[in-house]
Amino acid sequence: MATETSSVRGFAPVAVETGEELELAMQRLWLTGHVLPVGARLMVHHVFQSKEKKPMEAVYAFGLPRDAALRRFVIRGEGFTAHSELRPTREAVEEYERGIRDGSLSTLAREHGDGIVNLSVGNIRPREKVTVCLEILAGVELHDDSFRLRFPFTLAPCYHPRARLLEIAPGAGEIELPEDEFGDVMLPQFRQDSSNLHAVGFDLRVTSPGGFDGIGSPSHRVRIQVQDAGGVRVLLAAERDIPNRDLVLDVQHCNARPEALAGTGLDGKRHFIAIVPSTSFGEKPKGARRVVFVLDRSGSMQGLPMEQARKAIEACLGALSAEDSFGLVAFGDQTEHFQTRLSPATRENRDAARAFLASLQARGGTELAPAVEEAAGLGGTGSDLFILTDGQVYGTEQILARARAVGVRLHCLGIGSASQDRFLALLARQTGGVSRFVTATERVDMPAVDLFASLGKPVAESIRVTGAHIQPDPPPCVFAGTPLAISGEGADGELRIQWDGGSLDLPVGDCGRRIGEMVRLLRGARMITDLESRQINTGREQSRIAERLKELSKEYGLASREMSLVAVVARAGDQPGEVPKTSVVPVGMAADTPFAGYFAAARRLDADATACMGVSAALFAHPDAPAARLVSESNEEDLLLELAARIEADGGMPGRKEEDRVLATVLAILAFLQESHSLKTGAFRSHVRRLVEFLEARADRDVVRRVIECARSGRIVPGDWVCTQNATWEEIEEALNEIRS
Amino acid sequence: MDGESQFSLSELEARSGVPARTIRFYIARGLLDGPARAGRGAYYTTAHLRRIEWIREQQSQGAMLAEIAVKLRPAPEGQRLAQPEAWLQYSLSEDVRVMVRDGASPWRIRQIRAALSELAGRLSNTDVETRSPDGDRNK
Repeated sequence: MATETSSVRGFAPVAVETGEELELAMQRLWLTGHVLPVGARLMVHHVFQSKEKKPMEAVYAFGLPRDAALRRFVIRGEGFTAHSELRPTREAVEEYERGIRDGSLSTLAREHGDGIVNLSVGNIRPREKVTVCLEILAGVELHDDSFRLRFPFTLAPCYHPRARLLEIAPGAGEIELPEDEFGDVMLPQFRQDSSNLHAVGFDLRVTSPGGFDGIGSPSHRVRIQVQDAGGVRVLLAAERDIPNRDLVLDVQHCNARPEALAGTGLDGKRHFIAIVPSTSFGEKPKGARRVVFVLDRSGSMQGLPMEQARKAIEACLGALSAEDSFGLVAFGDQTEHFQTRLSPATRENRDAARAFLASLQARGGTELAPAVEEAAGLGGTGSDLFILTDGQVYGTEQILARARAVGVRLHCLGIGSASQDRFLALLARQTGGVSRFVTATERVDMPAVDLFASLGKPVAESIRVTGAHIQPDPPPCVFAGTPLAISGEGADGELRIQWDGGSLDLPVGDCGRRIGEMVRLLRGARMITDLESRQINTGREQSRIAERLKELSKEYGLASREMSLVAVVARAGDQPGEVPKTSVVPVGMAADTPFAGYFAAARRLDADATACMGVSAALFAHPDAPAARLVSESNEEDLLLELAARIEADGGMPGRKEEDRVLATVLAILAFLQESHSLKTGAFRSHVRRLVEFLEARADRDVVRRVIECARSGRIVPGDWVCTQNATWEEIEEALNEIRS
Repeated sequence: MDGESQFSLSELEARSGVPARTIRFYIARGLLDGPARAGRGAYYTTAHLRRIEWIREQQSQGAMLAEIAVKLRPAPEGQRLAQPEAWLQYSLSEDVRVMVRDGASPWRIRQIRAALSELAGRLSNTDVETRSPDGDRNK
């Protein structure tokens, strides 16, 4: 539960210019809870304190994490504690409004489209402090050897063609969405400077049955405390932080092996979630690839994200063989093609693609759906789309519907410090692909190359599971690097997982009732998220989806767009009929997102103007906007990316004569090995594979055969090969002999 | 407000089609007056309803709430300097230039550009049939 330290308890934000205390509707947001390798059960503590002279209604807007659902909340204040009830949304809103009219303290947690939640707390009395502890079930991003938890501490502004934007004061922007599509969702004010907003922090418990190899965060400085029960406590290292980026937590497993978490839930049934690393399915089969790169060059990508995405695509092109073909589509407001059909991955085509990439400028909105449709048309059935985007769009349900209809696999690399993890995870999953997310302080290009290495032929297809009732359906295939995740109920003893060409039996033990109930809730949250993503405002299917959502909400006790959480606390002294002052809690712009990139081109509000009107511009990049703050130093990885980009279509490095090419290829393998990229491991594994294939046909020399063996075993050959790409055969042999000795 | 109908907040919500929370938000932002009386006897009138309808009309024309709030402020004494506006100029041919106000939304820009492209195409095509201002048909 919450850990209020004395230093945090007395926190009161002040204005930098005046030193006066700021009148914030919400003072503090603190995250606690339990994180497992299959998901998290989180408690979000919102502390509201009114500085108004009359009752206040505070509205806090936040985005749900991936595969997440609200379970319940408890509201506490001086002399009272009340728990939420789960009601059909219409009834919940009516009850909330009745409570407001009666002058009672009323709280409503209601989910809108795109997974945006409005937490409304009305009739907070003058000087009163209330705390709303909201329980959220959330999924995690799974990797073979690790998992990543992402929790939103802020809400990024997004693109919608009909959105209106306005800079209402220097460094403060507002976005309004069309009500016919988005209803009465309230978005926060976006502040350039988040240093004087509410305090955020976290205190999480992480447990893993298999143990940890490491825990870290690319977003926040953390403190780790090992606990007796084998768990780990992860706390914010500082006393508090500011709400300008998501919390990202990475947990490395000790052993990447198949594992199932199971137990009996409160419904008396046995629930499980099983994770099977892709390495359990064997090696990725060979086969020609048809890949279309889809690059988001919208305004929000400007600066280093765009630069790194470019470099990443160049390096990915280097992993394509002569049999592969590729396309390249860039989109902002409009879509541009490199060529109007797929091109063989020849040297000439890759050079031309590089020139096309160099000509692209980040600007305009994020018209993702038309770009996906055009890219799918370009790639054709059976192709893979590889999307590099920050995913900052509203109206994601419509985009998902269009993406599902195109019938190709979408693999997403999300970029940003407050980005649409939920949306991009759905986009990949619902089209049979995989997704990864990187924060702004991480490199974009390396994860891109890593993700790209897993595309093409899956390691396993036609997954079938027996031994339990599986729900939701298992994914149709498994890609290298991303484990198979399956969940269901009733597994008693063993699960049998079969795929084309293999099978494995996975014992399902019992982790106790607590884990069983958590697993049950995580399954419910996942199913609700899947169904909500198919909820759009039109179509005959919608009433069926709404009914099913209600059923799921009732079955699992979780909120959804059809069911909301509400609590009304009647107290002595309530003033019926009093209208509380409504205040929307502002959020900080994401750390890597330049405020001017969104709001500089929007109309500015002149407080003195008497006729200030007009349509505001939707998300446009401003040429004068400062570049995003990102890691940009050149290092070994940059050199490897350049090396990867130079690989020829036949898999060898370029050179004037065959002998030169063989030597250059050997040196390239040594360089990749030096940074732990071998045939089986590392982001450049597909590049190493192509280099080895080139050498296998030219392995006359003993030195070449020994280098191939090192690439297979992952053994590093002593020497600085990354920086020394002009070594001789003798020098290589000498280094190899050092290993032998 | 004498002689005008009186509504509760939920009646105002039903008549205007605007959710009660949004109505409270309008009041908090100074777009709408609070109820005519405080406490249990609080009520709203047709003036509130008309104001809400006017706000919706302004929104449908592209104004945001913050802009509407500025419009509603009483104009100060004396002459005010006009608000500057940026305009983009498109030269479609040697004798035709079109001015477009800067800062439109992307869908509007696309619409305008498509129309201008079509116009530019028609202006450059000397074979198309046109009519002179006095109605004579020319080739």
